Amino acid sequence: MAVDADVVRLRRGDLNALSELITRYQNRLYRYLLRIVRQPAEAEDLFQQTWLRVVEKIRSFDASRNFDAWLFTLARNLAIDHLRRIRPESLDEPLANSWHSENVADRISSKDHTPLDHALAAERRTEISEAMAGLPMIYREVLTLRFEDEMKIEEIAQVTAVPVSTAKSRLRRSLEQLRDALEARYPGGTWQ
Amino acid sequence: MNEHDKIRELLALAAADALTSAEEKQVGEHVRSCIACSNELEAWRPIASELRRLPTPQPSSWLVQATLARAEAKLTEQAEHDWNRRVMIVVVAFAWLLTIASWPVFHVVSGRFERLLGPQFSHTWISFAAFTALEWLAGGVAAVMLAIRQRGERRLV
Repeated sequence: MAVDADVVRLRRGDLNALSELITRYQNRLYRYLLRIVRQPAEAEDLFQQTWLRVVEKIRSFDASRNFDAWLFTLARNLAIDHLRRIRPESLDEPLANSWHSENVADRISSKDHTPLDHALAAERRTEISEAMAGLPMIYREVLTLRFEDEMKIEEIAQVTAVPVSTAKSRLRRSLEQLRDALEARYPGGTWQ
Repeated sequence: MNEHDKIRELLALAAADALTSAEEKQVGEHVRSCIACSNELEAWRPIASELRRLPTPQPSSWLVQATLARAEAKLTEQAEHDWNRRVMIVVVAFAWLLTIASWPVFHVVSGRFERLLGPQFSHTWISFAAFTALEWLAGGVAAVMLAIRQRGERRLV
């Protein structure tokens, strides 16, 4: 695995490297935290805490290892500590409200061509994001790591600190629960 | 569990591209001959596809700037802390060097005093130890006072 030059520079205390890493990971990290805690204000606070933790711990990080997994593990630990402190029930129980705050325009992909396609695609994404928001934290997490961050199962296992087999079965269960939720919420819809 | 049931459990993971190459091959072969599993796999595909296309919520530029400012301040503070620690190590090493180097000087000086004061004054080494202890005690008290002051300043910041 290639050693990340910015990570090496950050280990030496380079402020520009820090800026570049924050810029590079800002969207992925914020999205991951938002998927876990579901509240934008809490995700923002955890986003800041994660980077402060990165600065604090970067010297103990082995630069030849996977920085993505290390960064997401730090974020995950902070998020779980936060949830344990603020809403311990949210680690297991789904919430009724949705985490997403994007407007319809944000949800429209450039791949969808006609206005009808746009509307249908937006509707499907709303449905899936609402169903996903209703899943327990460990399932939301594994879904976002696999489908949004495009992490391999081995990386997901590393971030979530579980064996690869557990990460795999967790991914399968999360998909099954998501599908069940979609079918229950939208009976007779396109998800069946 | 028969072959069909085993493959059925892998279909969601197949749609998620999370199978090993051996499992992928196994699923591919089975799906070609099993219509039920083929349909089931097709049912998983739109879910996986939509999950991949979910919009990415973006942090505000204010948040990114504030994070950068806080992280940079922390990095600078750490660099200062490291510098102070290095300086402290050098100072302590220098203090020990000075103490050891002063032994012969102290011995010569106190020997002259001994000759002036008479044979009763022969506690050179005890005096030297007391002198060294006093020096280090003063240094220790100064270090504790500085640490307390620094902690107070950090709280204010």
